[in-house]
Amino acid sequence: MNTMERRDFLKLSAMAAATAAAQAKAGVERTALHKDAHGIRWDKAPCRFCGTGCHVKVGVKGGRVVAIAGAEDADVNKGLLCVKGYHVGGILYGKDRLTTPMLRKEGKLEPISWDEAITVIAERIYKNPQKFAFYGSGQWTIPEGYAAQKFIKGGLSNNHIDPNARLCMASAVTGFISTYGVDEPAGTYDDLDNASVVIFWGNNPAEMHPVLFSRIVDRRSRGEKVTIIDIGTRRTRSTEFADHYLEFRPQTDLAIANCIANYLIENDKYDKAFVEKYCNFRIDVDDKTRDLLGKASTFEEYKAKMSTYTLEYTSQLSGVSVEKLTMLCETFADSKQLITSLWCMGVNQHYRGTAMNRLLHGIHLLSGQFGKPGAAPTSLTGQPSACGTAREVGTLAHALPGGRIVAKPEHRADCEKAWNMAPGTINEKPGYHTVLMFEKFCTPTAEGGDIDTILVQVTNPGQTLPNLYKLFDAKKDLADKFLIVSEVYPTATTEIADLVLPAALWVEKSGVYGNSERRTQQWFKQVEPPGGAREDVWMTIAIARKLYDMGYPGMKDKDGKFIFSYKDEQGNEVPIWDYAHFNDINVDKALYEEYRPLTHAKHKNVAPYDVLVNAHGLRWPVVQTKDGNWRETRFRFTEADDPFVKKGTGLQFYHSTTNDDKAQIWFCPYEAAPEEPNKEYPFWLCTGRVLEHWHTGSMTMRVDQLRKAMPKAYVELNPKDAADKGINNGDLVKLTTARGEIVLPAWINGRAQPPRGSVFVPFFDEKLLINRLTLDVTCPVSKEPDYKKCATKVEKYNPTEKQPLP
Amino acid sequence: MVDRSQPVSRRGLFGALVRPFTRHLKERPVAHPEEIPDADTPRVAIIQGRFCLAYQGGVCFTCSERCPEPGAITTQQGIPTIHADLCTGCGICHDLCPAPVNAILVKAKPPTQTTEPSEPS
Repeated sequence: MNTMERRDFLKLSAMAAATAAAQAKAGVERTALHKDAHGIRWDKAPCRFCGTGCHVKVGVKGGRVVAIAGAEDADVNKGLLCVKGYHVGGILYGKDRLTTPMLRKEGKLEPISWDEAITVIAERIYKNPQKFAFYGSGQWTIPEGYAAQKFIKGGLSNNHIDPNARLCMASAVTGFISTYGVDEPAGTYDDLDNASVVIFWGNNPAEMHPVLFSRIVDRRSRGEKVTIIDIGTRRTRSTEFADHYLEFRPQTDLAIANCIANYLIENDKYDKAFVEKYCNFRIDVDDKTRDLLGKASTFEEYKAKMSTYTLEYTSQLSGVSVEKLTMLCETFADSKQLITSLWCMGVNQHYRGTAMNRLLHGIHLLSGQFGKPGAAPTSLTGQPSACGTAREVGTLAHALPGGRIVAKPEHRADCEKAWNMAPGTINEKPGYHTVLMFEKFCTPTAEGGDIDTILVQVTNPGQTLPNLYKLFDAKKDLADKFLIVSEVYPTATTEIADLVLPAALWVEKSGVYGNSERRTQQWFKQVEPPGGAREDVWMTIAIARKLYDMGYPGMKDKDGKFIFSYKDEQGNEVPIWDYAHFNDINVDKALYEEYRPLTHAKHKNVAPYDVLVNAHGLRWPVVQTKDGNWRETRFRFTEADDPFVKKGTGLQFYHSTTNDDKAQIWFCPYEAAPEEPNKEYPFWLCTGRVLEHWHTGSMTMRVDQLRKAMPKAYVELNPKDAADKGINNGDLVKLTTARGEIVLPAWINGRAQPPRGSVFVPFFDEKLLINRLTLDVTCPVSKEPDYKKCATKVEKYNPTEKQPLP
Repeated sequence: MVDRSQPVSRRGLFGALVRPFTRHLKERPVAHPEEIPDADTPRVAIIQGRFCLAYQGGVCFTCSERCPEPGAITTQQGIPTIHADLCTGCGICHDLCPAPVNAILVKAKPPTQTTEPSEPS
């Protein structure tokens, strides 16, 4: 063995030892762990990509992830993975991983030490703690989000923290809360196995949630009958499998949902017993006000308001034929059906996203399609821990852990008590939501831009924010603004960052995620992060400790102890802020177990950490049974399954906003989109994801197979529109909106077919930033922007006529 | 006048899509040389169902989407079929297949199927 080899060998064995030591601290024996005949060590982890929450088996050899397989015993995916999932291990090994902290000096990013980096951040925060904002993610693990939350809302008494989930499922949250008084779906994926009808509302699960989609269509190959109704603004890959396709004019889904409600009432086909027993009616305060809770309404008022939405009126407005609308309404009228509605960004990224969410819950309640296996209004999430971290840990600008909000004194007091902080520590005023946070960051300080430092973790706002010139690029000209980005690869965000922190990714760290069906999933660190890359949760704790050392009062609790003080089994405090000691205890478990009691107030009881270690996730509320086992919940609010429902009630909405155990059926009117096609910008522009890439492609574009399968963004055109403009496949097309322009290749029909007068562009391509064109107007209640519709001009681009791009 | 609305050939589009990325194509691990016959011999692509994501109940449409020959790869309920009479054996589907184990074989066309060229020139 020569020196070189020996050194490598020693380094590898040291790493292996450190990893093994971290895992030994689990406290329980691990059943998922085993070694196969090829010397590959297998362990479990949830997939890193979408909100489905598939479990993968991770094969490690020589300190590297060398194999990925679907976990056959995982309920979510039963061994199946999508094309991204099979390559999830490859995302760790792109050639340009960031491995050292870098500070921008005279315009160039120069390597610095971690200690310097942490000091720079702490000094900026120390100077202006209220002008600091934390921008996180639905890809944050639960412990990462919880630490960030405690650090800023507790330690800094500052509420300027928001996750990218604001751009993703904020409207689903407001929809659930205003309907049931508490967030997250009542049903689970099990409903997909039992439903007789599955409806996609502006949803394309074939590409976005492929494993769930397979779970539905697979039933057909087993001889079961499941009717798929696809309601959307463009044909997609999912449409190929649908029995019925209803194509509506963008924004008129509001009218379609109302049409169903009106039909059920007019024809006396709604579930009277269900509505009487379990539902109230609700309405906006007045014609202008759009808030979370509205005011009480009556059935008569509801009926009168709904009466506008006749089949004929709705057909005229939406472009869906009366025949098809009748079919849809009749489906809801047929009590023998079991209907599951699925929706995701089409309904959430909507100028009236909250309203549309409410209406979907409303038609399910009105028709009694709720609370039985197969009948559920189920919103899907796009990120692996949008539910777990953004919603349950409450890393939103207005929220606190466990479904609490900063506006309520008793909720603040709960957290102050749990964190052993003085009463009054938590600020009662909600912080800036995402769009506002970046607007303030991109506004000169003298003009009221009162955010001067943003720390970004696990997300890429430089590509995903709407109206990028206004909300992101404008920062470049502001010398006193400071952008800190924790990332794994160079991205559109690191491009203009002042400080870049190299982060550990996926199984290079331990974590806990919460998927779309309330399933909390845990995994252990399995390989070492490359070079100097470190865990996001460590960064947060190290910054907090630096502030503590500098004498910042908020970093001490009531007893003068550091707010992130955790002890080892012998009862000695471990200096986890010192990276050499970060792995001496299981920090994830310490944070998670501190957070867990906070989930009980709203009956979101997550499972204990040690129980999660040997499960492929458990769906909360998880309660302990008499025999000491832990039991998960498949359907909330039903007596049959939810342990918190009073016996004899059947269904109990125990967090009802009206305190009478009833859900709210809302009336929300159809309201026009904020920007509709006009003479200058005559086309609708819709954006979205593709099967092969996840979000901004910062990970998937580094996997050869995925990049080759889908190398570059394009614009999907209707063949007739293309013919009108003399555009053929591959011709360059210029899209212009009031906010920016972009040139990309045309793909006629594309993955299915956009209707005439509309185009679709995916947002994964960092070289073709479609979000420079999108609209930053938000839903008035959820503050979520509408990425699905704005007005654009479409022109054939002549490359000989050189036009400077913005 | 040419009807430009018809997606007569997807070659143009995929040319545009693939060109900037040829660098990556070169880096791609190539299947063992004897597995793929020379480009001068008439060839045909074959899907190995046991490796194909779509056959395995998953969702994937790379081969049918990127095939430059209209009608050579069609799908039914998501499952791709290669029509040997229309397949030119260009191998693009093989090069782009994103399955963990490449599901596409490129073989010499059996003599019975090579009697006529697929397009009269």
